[in-house]
Order: sequence, then structure tokens, then C-alpha cells
Amino acid sequence: MRRAVILVLLYAGLQLVFPLGARRPETLALPIFGFLILAAYTVGELAGSARLPKLVGYLAAGFVFGPAVLGTVPVDVVDFLEPVSELAVALIAFLAGAELQWKELRDRGVVILKLLGAELGLTFLALTLTLMAMHSFVPSLANAPMREVVVFAVLFGSVAIVHSPAVTMAMLSETGARGPVARTTLGVVLVADVAVVVLFSLTLAMTRILVPAPTSGAEAVALLTIVWEVVGAVLVGAVLGGLIAMYLRFFEHQLFIFALIVAYFAAEIAGLLHVERLLMLLVAGFVAEAAAGGKGEKLRHSMERAAAPVFVVFFALAGAAIQPDAVVDMWLLVIPLCLVRAASIWGGTRIGATWAGTAEPERRYVWMGLLSQAGVAIGLAAIVSSVYPQRGEDLQTLFLAMIAINQVVGPILFRRALQKSGELSDTPLGHTHDHEAFTPSAGSPRSTSPA
Amino acid sequence: MTATLVLVLVIALAYLATHVLYDWVAKRYKIVSGAEYLVLGYLLGPQVSGIFDQQVLQGFAPLTTLTLGWVGVLVGMQFHLPQLIKVPGQSWRIAFGESLLTLALVAGVMTWLFSAFYALPTRVALGPGIALGAIAASVTPAGVQAMASLMRSKGAVLHQLELATNVNNLVAISAFGLLLCFLRPPVFATFRTPTVTEWAVIAVGIGIVGGALFHLFLGNEKNPDRLVISVAGAVILASGTAAYLRLSPILSAMIVGFILVNTSGNRERVENVVKHAERPLYFVLLVFAGAMWQPPRQPVWFIPVLVFLGWRAMAKIGAARLVTRWNGAMPMLGPHWGRALMGQGALAIALSLDYVEHAEPRFGYIVFSAAALSVLLTEFAALRLVSSVTEPLLEPLKRIPIAGRYLREELRPSAELPPPDGSSATTDEQPVVRGSSD
Repeated sequence: MRRAVILVLLYAGLQLVFPLGARRPETLALPIFGFLILAAYTVGELAGSARLPKLVGYLAAGFVFGPAVLGTVPVDVVDFLEPVSELAVALIAFLAGAELQWKELRDRGVVILKLLGAELGLTFLALTLTLMAMHSFVPSLANAPMREVVVFAVLFGSVAIVHSPAVTMAMLSETGARGPVARTTLGVVLVADVAVVVLFSLTLAMTRILVPAPTSGAEAVALLTIVWEVVGAVLVGAVLGGLIAMYLRFFEHQLFIFALIVAYFAAEIAGLLHVERLLMLLVAGFVAEAAAGGKGEKLRHSMERAAAPVFVVFFALAGAAIQPDAVVDMWLLVIPLCLVRAASIWGGTRIGATWAGTAEPERRYVWMGLLSQAGVAIGLAAIVSSVYPQRGEDLQTLFLAMIAINQVVGPILFRRALQKSGELSDTPLGHTHDHEAFTPSAGSPRSTSPA
Repeated sequence: MTATLVLVLVIALAYLATHVLYDWVAKRYKIVSGAEYLVLGYLLGPQVSGIFDQQVLQGFAPLTTLTLGWVGVLVGMQFHLPQLIKVPGQSWRIAFGESLLTLALVAGVMTWLFSAFYALPTRVALGPGIALGAIAASVTPAGVQAMASLMRSKGAVLHQLELATNVNNLVAISAFGLLLCFLRPPVFATFRTPTVTEWAVIAVGIGIVGGALFHLFLGNEKNPDRLVISVAGAVILASGTAAYLRLSPILSAMIVGFILVNTSGNRERVENVVKHAERPLYFVLLVFAGAMWQPPRQPVWFIPVLVFLGWRAMAKIGAARLVTRWNGAMPMLGPHWGRALMGQGALAIALSLDYVEHAEPRFGYIVFSAAALSVLLTEFAALRLVSSVTEPLLEPLKRIPIAGRYLREELRPSAELPPPDGSSATTDEQPVVRGSSD
């Protein structure tokens, strides 16, 4: 509560100060960014004390102080801070890959694949059919020929099935849950990420053939490009992971900073080589953890420590980007789609769990961890929008509305799932290695200030 | 390659070079590192390779402001009052006397030079003159800290040098922060434009109010994740607000650092959080500073730069000598201890960078060039300069058998001492500065 009062005072202070300076994105970015960090942190703590996931608090802070409500964080500042979000996504993806250990994949791979197959298959089918049935609610599809409706419904389905590795990682980091429900959910989300990228790439290629894109340069179906995006991501990710493993084996210095540099560096490499960024980072994280021997764990812990502030920033900015207008405008379509998605994830997971013969907690609770959607879905929606400006934009609005609901409801349900399955821990992941954060820097006689 | 990728690569390689290679070279030759990134930044900037163009530099402006604020917080955190009140009054008088005298001497001569050389009214010449005076006062703590790490305990000279370094930096930041209140362009607010005094109050107020609120915000927090988030948010908000108002983020952040270190129940943890980000931000600051450097447009611009370099050295040594004599501390400190204060580092660069962003470009780059050259020339020698002052003072004592044995033990390099826990001396936390072990 004390922090909330201070936050109000800081907010009032900023309102006093802002008229005295030039309101440009580049000058506003830093004070607003600082305020957003403190605001998200405070609301996150309040959410935590209300037994809600902290990241819901981060999202709420971003939403309240963002353009939609108070407008403290204007749209142009959110855009200006986009690189920060990208860094956060890269870090989360790398960390997620590092969490997916080889031994676990070998032991639980079949279970994960069966769960995933049933869940993704059923959800994809259900969402595609629902949009086909309700296409008249989408302005640009209302009068379209049935063939095009089917094609865009399939494209929609391939994006709408996506989960959120960021939310899953943030929840595991926050709660410290490591039990079967947590591990299975993480495994499904990460492998689904790879599967969705492949499915989306193929679906987009098919859509481009059946409904040529109006934008220049998008008319040619570059199947090789799509193959490269996926295969290249695996190859480049493996090479990068190997290099990181070498660094860990031979140098092993300043892992906290190294983790941040790796995340940024990898994101840039992906952009340069035109490979799928998230997949590449997942693979890099996975290979680095597997190839570095015991030292991979050190990097993972360092990244977990770096992840805490990154999660605050990422979800606060994601909250600021929420567009409630989209939900209001399309609620007749969005609500049924969200319900169908939730129901099909529940059904698919039950079928998959029964097929794989998992234990009761996984059968009952894993679906609750699969509802969240965030960064990946936004990225894929943006690609659709860039290829098909008009219809893609309608679909993007629809996705953003669905994401706005799922990224708030998803973490709450996931926390409940972890609680019900008895996997909530008092010691979050990032806190198990507190001593690492305070290795002798101030106390060390060799430390210094740069001033 | 994109500029961001180059930046990331540069910083990554700088890390490797620092840790693996430079550590060895530094130990062997008593070199303090850092200035090389300034040169690297210049090579990457628009003046040479153009890998970082103006647009990229503008895009990274908030990051630059953050680094300035971080430097300020680090300086502010050196003033832990419970420790400082134990320092004798004489030491304070010497430290303040030396720093203020240096500031006045350099500011006076440089103002006169600008006025005479470029035919400027004194009022206009005062801006770059005082900026250079403030920069002249700033001292890198690298040499003193590296020397302290080589000795088991600090003697009177090292204690005085440590205090003088901190006071010099305090005086430099305060003078510079107030100068920016004068240079600040008028604002067309809804009521009226604040006066210079009011701007000064606002600059200090951001630090005081910010520091007090952040102290309450942090409370008794011990969790490292939460401390990182809170401290980072506090520094970003305070320095960002000051920069938004076109005031000095270094001054406001220094006050925040001072308040946090004196009020927080977790002083050491907060300090550690700040120091954790010190190295990467230091590299970023130097690389950007180098990239932003432009040759001044004035003809024979190098004359004020050369005068600054020479006059600063004389002012430092002379002011220290004079103040020591006035305070009757010659037997304890000797006549040449001012030499140990000649090394300059990140603060000089931060102040000059801040000046470039606020002042007229025609003089901004002269000031920046002077600061950059001074850092290039003196930072490498910082440790040698300190040891050249401390070691001769111990020579007479070394001739006494018992004291000599004690001193030889005392001066034994800490790098050669076995760590207390018996583990490897190399940790995850390598310092920016590497001291000699000879």
C-alpha cells in the first residue's frame, strides 16, 4: 500500500513536470519508462498479495497508464520502447529453450507430443469452423466467396491456436513451480511454438497460392524461404547454442550481462539471416544448456535473474498495447471464439492425456496453462496484416481482442492450476540463487566505480 | 550489419578482451582500462566508418541519458555519512580547497582564453569556461581504488586521496549541474518561465524528492530481483525526468544516490545492484561518447584543448600543494600528492557529453574534445600516478628494519594473497580496473 501511495505521488510529480519540457517521444521515453517499471512492479505486488499472478498486475499497470486509460504512456512512446520489448521476447525465448532439457524431452517427449497433437488438432479445427460459421461478423469477409472464407479461416486457426511461452515462463519464474503439471505445460507450450510456426508458415504459403496477396513482393510463393525460416532457425540456433556453450566452458564470466547480450545478439542475427527468431532462440537455449555440461545451469540461473525485471517491462508494455476498443467492437465474435478456444483446449488436452496415460493432475489441470496468448500471437498477426492489408488488418484486430482477454485470464487460470495440483512453491526460481546476485562487488577491494 | 548488432558485438568483444587479455596486460604494466572504448566508438561513429549514423545515435539517446544518471548515482553513493563524519576536518578542508581552487583556476583561465581567442563577451565565454573547470575538477577513482586493492590497509595518503576524489567529483557535478540551469533554453509553460534559481531548485528537488520517495519505495526490501527492478526504475525515472527538463541528469541522480546510500537499510545490497550494471553501462557510455565526437568547427580549436590539458595538470598539482601548505599538512601528504588526482575517467566523459547535448555546438565539441583527450592521456596512467605519490612517502619508513618489514608485507599485492575461502581468486565479478602486482 505504501508503494501505491508513492506511485500516486510520483504520478502527480510527473504531471507537474511534464508541462515544463518538450513532449517528444525521445525525451519522454526515459522518465515514462522508469515510471512504468515502478508502476508495474507496484501493481504486480498488489496483485500478488491478492493471490493473483504478478504479471496480471504488470499488464494492469501498463493498461491503466497506457494510451487506453490514463494516457501517461502515449502510443508513440510505446512504439519508441519497442526494442525493449523485443529484447524481452528474445530473453524469454532463450530461457524457455534452456528450460527444456534433453533428459526431460527424452523422458516425456511422447507424452508431450500426444497431448500436443490432440490439443492443437482439436483447437485448430474448432477455431477454423467457428470463424467460418461466424465470418459475417468480420467486415472484410462478410461478402467474400466461400473459398476465400475457408482459406482465411484456416489462416486464422493457425494463428489463434498459439500459446504463450512468455506467460508460461513468467509464471514458472514467479511461482517456482516445478511439478509435473508445470513441466508438462512448459513442454507442450514450447513444442507447440515450433509446431505453430511450421503450421503457420505452410498455411500462409497455401493462402498466398489460393488468394494472391495484393501487396507487391508478396505474390510469389517462396516455399524455400519458408523452409529456410524454419530449418535455418534450427541450424543457426544450434550453432549459436554451441558457441554459447563454448563460452560457458572456457570463460564463464559475468553471466548476468552475458545473458542479456546473448538475447539481443541472437535476435539481431535472426533478423539478418531471415530465420524464425523465436525458434532460433529456443534451439540456441536448448543446445547451450545441453552442450555446456553442468555450466549451462549457471547461465540459466543468470538468465532467470535477468528475467525478473525483463518480465516486468515486457508485460507492462504489453498491457500498454492492449486495445479495449477492439474487444468492445468485436465482442460478439471475440467472446464465442475465446470460449470455443478454451473448450477445445480443455477437450483436446483431456483426450491427449488419456491417450498418453498421464496422471490425474496433468489430465485435469494442464489445459489451464495453455490458454494464455501474448507476443508470438501478436507477431504472427502482424505478418498476416502485412501480407493482406485489409483482411489481415481485420484478423489482426480480432487477434488483438482475443489476446487481450487470454493474456489476462490465462495467467489467473494457470496459477489456479498450479495451486490445485499442489505445485505452488514459496521459493520462486529467480530467488534460489540470490547469493549469485551479490558476489563480492561492493565488498571486493578490486571493485571500482567508473566515475 | 545493423548498428545494434555492431554495438552488441563491440560490447561483447570488449567484455572478452577485458576479461581474458587485458586483465593480464593490466596487471603487468599497471594500466587502468576504459579509454580504449572511446577510440572504438569514434571509429564506429559518423566521423570515420559511419556504422553508427546520427539517426542511430539519436535512437539510443535515452540509453545515453541512463548511463549519465548511473554515473551520478555511483558518485552519490560514495558519500555515506556515518563513515564520512569520522574523517578529520583538516582532510575535508584540503579536499574542498583543492577541488574548488582547481575549478576556479581552470574556469577562470579557460573563460579568459575563450573570450580573448574567439572574441566572445565574457558572459558567453563563461559557459564553456565553467564546463571545463568542472570537468577539470573531476577525477577517476580507478587509480586510488586499484592502489587500495594492492595494499592490505590504507594509509593517510590513500585516505586523503579517496576523500579528495569523491569531493572533486561532487564539486564537478554540482558546478556543472548549476551551469546547465543557466544554459537551459526558456520554456513556454502555461504560467511563466522559471528563473535560473528555480531551475536549480527543480534540479536539486528532483534528486531530493526522488531520493526520498525511492527510499520509501524500497523500504526494507532485500529480495535481489525486486531491488534491481526498484533501483533501475528509480534511476531511470530521476535521470530521465532531469533530462526531459534539459537539466543535468548527473546532478539529480547523484542526489538520489546520496539519499539512497544514507537512508536505505540495505545500503550494501543497493550499492551492489548499482555496481552490477556499472561495467556494461560504462562501456556503452564510452562507445557512444566516442561515436558522438565531432571535430570542432572553430579554427585552431586544438589550442584551447591543449591549454586545458596543460593548465589542468598545473592547477591540480598547484592547488593541492597550496591547500596542503595552508593547512599545515605538508609532512603528511607531501608537496606532490595532487599528481595522483590527475587521472580522469567516465565522469569527465559524462559531463562533457551532457554539455554537448545542452550547449551551443560550436563550443560543445571543444569541451568534449578536451575531456576526451584528457581521459585518453590520463586514465591509462591513473594507477601509476597514484603509486608515484604513495610509494615515495613510505620510503623513509622502509629504512627502519621493523617498519620496513611491516610495510613490505603491507604492500604485498593482494592478487598474490590466497583468497580467504581458499577458492580461486577469479570470480564472476571482475573489476573494471586492474591493478599491478609487481
